[in-house]
Amino acid sequence: MASPKTSLRVRGIHKQYGDFVAVGDLSFEAPTGVVYGLLGPNGAGKTTTLRMINNIIMPDSGSIELLDRLSPGPEAAKHIGYLPEERGLYPKMKVRETLAFFGALRGLGGKASHRQADTWLERLKLSDWRGNNVQDLSKGMQQKVQFAAALIHDPELLILDEPWSGLDPINAEVLKDIVSAQKDAGKTILFSTHLMEQAEHLCDHVCIMAKGRKAVEGRLDELKREAAAEGLVNLAFRTPEDEQRARNGVLGQSMVEGVQDERDGLLVQLAAGVESDKLLGELVADGLSIRRFERQQASLHQIFVSRVGAMADAEQEGRLADD
Amino acid sequence: MLSKKGGSQMTRQAFIIARREFLERVRNKWFAIVTILGPIGMVAAIVLPAYLSVRSVKEGFHVQVVDQSERDVADMMDIELDARGVAFKLERVPPQTDVAILEGRIRDEKIDGYLIFPKDVLSGGKVMYRGDNATNMLVTKGLSSLVDFAVFRTRGKDMGLGEIQIASLFQKVEFESKQTTGQGEATSGTASFVVGYAVMFVLYIAILLYGVAVLRSVIQEKNNRVVEIMVSSVRPISLMLGKVVGVGCVGLLQLTLWGLMAAIIVGFREEVLGLFGIPGAGAFELPHLGGADFAIILVYFFLGYFFYAALYAAIGAMVNSEQEAQQAQTPVMLMLIIPVLCVQIVAGDPRGGVAEVLTQIPFASPVLMPMRFLLDAVSTAEILASIGILLASLLGAVLLAAKVYRVGILSYGKKPSFREVWSWIRNS
Repeated sequence: MASPKTSLRVRGIHKQYGDFVAVGDLSFEAPTGVVYGLLGPNGAGKTTTLRMINNIIMPDSGSIELLDRLSPGPEAAKHIGYLPEERGLYPKMKVRETLAFFGALRGLGGKASHRQADTWLERLKLSDWRGNNVQDLSKGMQQKVQFAAALIHDPELLILDEPWSGLDPINAEVLKDIVSAQKDAGKTILFSTHLMEQAEHLCDHVCIMAKGRKAVEGRLDELKREAAAEGLVNLAFRTPEDEQRARNGVLGQSMVEGVQDERDGLLVQLAAGVESDKLLGELVADGLSIRRFERQQASLHQIFVSRVGAMADAEQEGRLADD
Repeated sequence: MLSKKGGSQMTRQAFIIARREFLERVRNKWFAIVTILGPIGMVAAIVLPAYLSVRSVKEGFHVQVVDQSERDVADMMDIELDARGVAFKLERVPPQTDVAILEGRIRDEKIDGYLIFPKDVLSGGKVMYRGDNATNMLVTKGLSSLVDFAVFRTRGKDMGLGEIQIASLFQKVEFESKQTTGQGEATSGTASFVVGYAVMFVLYIAILLYGVAVLRSVIQEKNNRVVEIMVSSVRPISLMLGKVVGVGCVGLLQLTLWGLMAAIIVGFREEVLGLFGIPGAGAFELPHLGGADFAIILVYFFLGYFFYAALYAAIGAMVNSEQEAQQAQTPVMLMLIIPVLCVQIVAGDPRGGVAEVLTQIPFASPVLMPMRFLLDAVSTAEILASIGILLASLLGAVLLAAKVYRVGILSYGKKPSFREVWSWIRNS
């Protein structure tokens, strides 16, 4: 089988409970080999979306295509690893049997599933516990078993729902390593989170959701570049006197919309349509001694706040217009 | 429509799930304990009360006798006192003894009871017994026959009969009853009933036990959240069927083991009873259980179990905790208990119309039909019809349960109302 170009293609899926729209007309695509972040505040519809992709619930309308050819279902499940937000294992089942069981359910043969179980137990340093019941393990170890259970069948697409919730720092690192290793092996990872920092470090692509709808989607670096173009400048002067002069002079003029104190310098918001070169030129012309001048890369958090905030504002206006 | 591949994958996954359920239960130490102790407990539950009541009867009951007949009728009882193996210590008290005093003696546990022969006892007056053991059948039957004997004897004397004539009149009549429907060899009526009743009871217990095991398994899977991974990997119906089959196989294994144990115990019953110091085991004769009997028992267990397990699975999917399940399972429980309450009707008249109807009703036939079969009171056509009806209802129950299961299994939190459950069934 030629490796698919697109691991996941979601087209206009919609899920409604009564009047409540859990997911509204959502579309996005995750190319093969990327780490894709589905971001949004609690209640944004992330889990519902992942559940629809995993065939746990059915969308009211729209379509989901996996690995260029499959619909959600048991056949697709053979190629998908899934770590749900609410994680659990059978407490009275032995660790190795647990892994082999989930492997077998997702299409591995009996021998292969046991072999893979051993490999994963080795890798996660749990080999000594293979014969113990799951309930004998510490919570942290159980979390590792859950990772392994999601990966035992070497899935093309790994789906993680709020994977960092409840993890201790050590397991959080383990999970990061797993995600990197999967990516290096050419697999696709889709995960949801409301933690922007984690997403910022890991994601190639993101889709930010709010209130069941897509706020923004795209490559993370492009989104950042776009946001940067919106005119944030990180500025520091050699002396406090220069800083004061600048505040009284250039930074007080109409090309600057706002100035904010940062730990080491100032964050300047340019007025709409003003290029950062213009500010630099003015500062230099005033003979100010500049230690740092850089266009601020917007953090994912800032993108998130501005996009989701903009959506909330738009909704507010819509509601006012309705009245 | 399922493709052939999808169908075989469903079967494979259901098998994997069934195997897990089966192994987890069989490896559990409780399985061994219940398998070994179950029959012992059941035998003990039947034998112990009987044994205890026989023993206290043998120890003797202290009864005071108030004879107001002025004819010494009560004295006649003493002659037959030990004839029935029930010991009474009968003590005459003056005819004018106040009832209140006798009641007081019962209260103080000085006596077990008192018997009053009225003045007109020979011409139809009512003899009364009051005692703390009047619930014991052996006591009341024993006393009643002693009273009969005393009154008849006095009447005989009044008619001028001699001792020899009276003895001849009261010579014991031997009576034997055996169960037959003209199809096979007649068997001891009591023994057939006991075996039939035991089989009914075992089936009821097994279906209940393993039905509830399915219910609990579903709830646990929901509570420990494995269900989400499960439902993302397999179709809910595979999950449900795998569970039901896996648990059912445990039940089948347990019943088979119990059957083997019973066969061994029955085969060596003289030796076994000898161990307990009970001689003369040959005295009780058990009806022979053949291969057909066991086949019928297993078939009805499996079908009945499947029928109820599907319903229990659906209930498990509807609720969030065992407490909620207690309440929600009541209707299913009633369906299972009603046939047990009807057992007397079927045993009393196994070929009667009520028995015929009951053993065709799908929720009652699994428990009652094997009993009727053991009593030799059912035709092949009836059995086939009953199995057919049970099978059809079983499929209906599974389809219905699967629909409820599919939606319910993922709903956490609030317990659904019946209206909601109905909408799950209609919309899925």
